[in-house]
Amino acid sequence: MNPHHHPDIVTLMGYSSGGLSVAFAAVVSAHLSVCHLCRDRLRATDTIGGGLLGQQEGLALSEGAAERLLAKLEHTEPDTPTPPPELWRHDPDELPEPLWPYFGSSYKALRWKWIGPGIHHIRSHGADDGHLMLLRVKPGRSLPMHTHGGSELTMILRGAYDDTLGHFAPGDVADLDEDTEHQPVTAPGVPCICVAATDAPLRFSGWMARALQPFVRL
Amino acid sequence: MTQTASPHTDDPVYWSAQVTAVASRRDVDAFMRIFAYYGPRLQRYLVGLAVPAPQAEELVQETMLRIWRRAAMFDASRANLSTWMFRIARNLYIDSVRGEPHWLPIQDGLDRLDELPGEDGTTSTEAYADGVGLDRAIDGLPPQQARMIRMSYFEAKSHSEIARELHQPLGSVKSNLRRAFARLQAAMRNRP
Ligand SMILES: [Zn+2]
Repeated sequence: MNPHHHPDIVTLMGYSSGGLSVAFAAVVSAHLSVCHLCRDRLRATDTIGGGLLGQQEGLALSEGAAERLLAKLEHTEPDTPTPPPELWRHDPDELPEPLWPYFGSSYKALRWKWIGPGIHHIRSHGADDGHLMLLRVKPGRSLPMHTHGGSELTMILRGAYDDTLGHFAPGDVADLDEDTEHQPVTAPGVPCICVAATDAPLRFSGWMARALQPFVRL
Repeated sequence: MTQTASPHTDDPVYWSAQVTAVASRRDVDAFMRIFAYYGPRLQRYLVGLAVPAPQAEELVQETMLRIWRRAAMFDASRANLSTWMFRIARNLYIDSVRGEPHWLPIQDGLDRLDELPGEDGTTSTEAYADGVGLDRAIDGLPPQQARMIRMSYFEAKSHSEIARELHQPLGSVKSNLRRAFARLQAAMRNRP
């Protein structure tokens, strides 16, 4: 997989510095698991963190900190190096591994909820409900992704969509700020499945009403 | 604890050699040199993130123990010691202070992906130097950009929090950070 659309570098800086919400970090992690270009870019942002750390004026540790550390060394064995892992996403039924805690590992096992004509969704398990979700949209449909007043980070998992920003295929990320207006349309063929993080919990009233406007009158 | 300034402290090669000594012969002196230099800096970083001092000290110890256990996995061609320590401390902070249970296993998994050749047969190789060049570039940032970089990395603030605090539109925070990154990245690529 060689993604063509990547998170903005400032999004990676947020990931590196610990400034992203759980939902955004989950989408970035999923993208990192398939994009070695972004793993390189992240190394650069982490290097900035390392450079800042090195420049810091230290803050004195308490008396005896060195002795306590030395004492612990005696009972601490080096980790045994393990062989390189199996490549992630071996099985075509598997979601990217960083999404497993939120949605499970298998596409087949997903329990989709209908939210509108041709559109299903699943909210993540865990504390971040409402900020992270999977969406599945029938081929040739308009996707209910708009921004109004917040940021969105979306990664395509299966299928594809097109909008004014280009063609988005599996692995691609749309990193949208509050000013972006777009109207993606899913490509023909298979349903488009994507994972989306938003910085405000999605309120279905406004959001869905707008998304469904072409299809139903609410 | 006494700390003597070493003439090598801003030289990443010196620090990589200390890690190598830990990895190859469990060199306690080398390990304690790392602790003497980086321990207080890690403490400053964690206290800056609003971690109470005693808990921050525990995380410093935990970070050091990870260095001790994983020294053999340190690859000086890919990262500098300070970058590695930053990642470990940040990961432990997100895990234990923020209580995000999935962060650490995911980071470990992502780290290990880079041990594999890519699908096109290449490994990701771009290494970044954080020596004098980066230090100078950080010092040379325009004040506004320097401030945002510090708020971002040392207070782990989200970009919208930074925007609110500095009374600036989010878009201008992002474009400042983007410009700061471009400058710093250029400095990192110019190895001293
Ligand atoms: Zn990427």
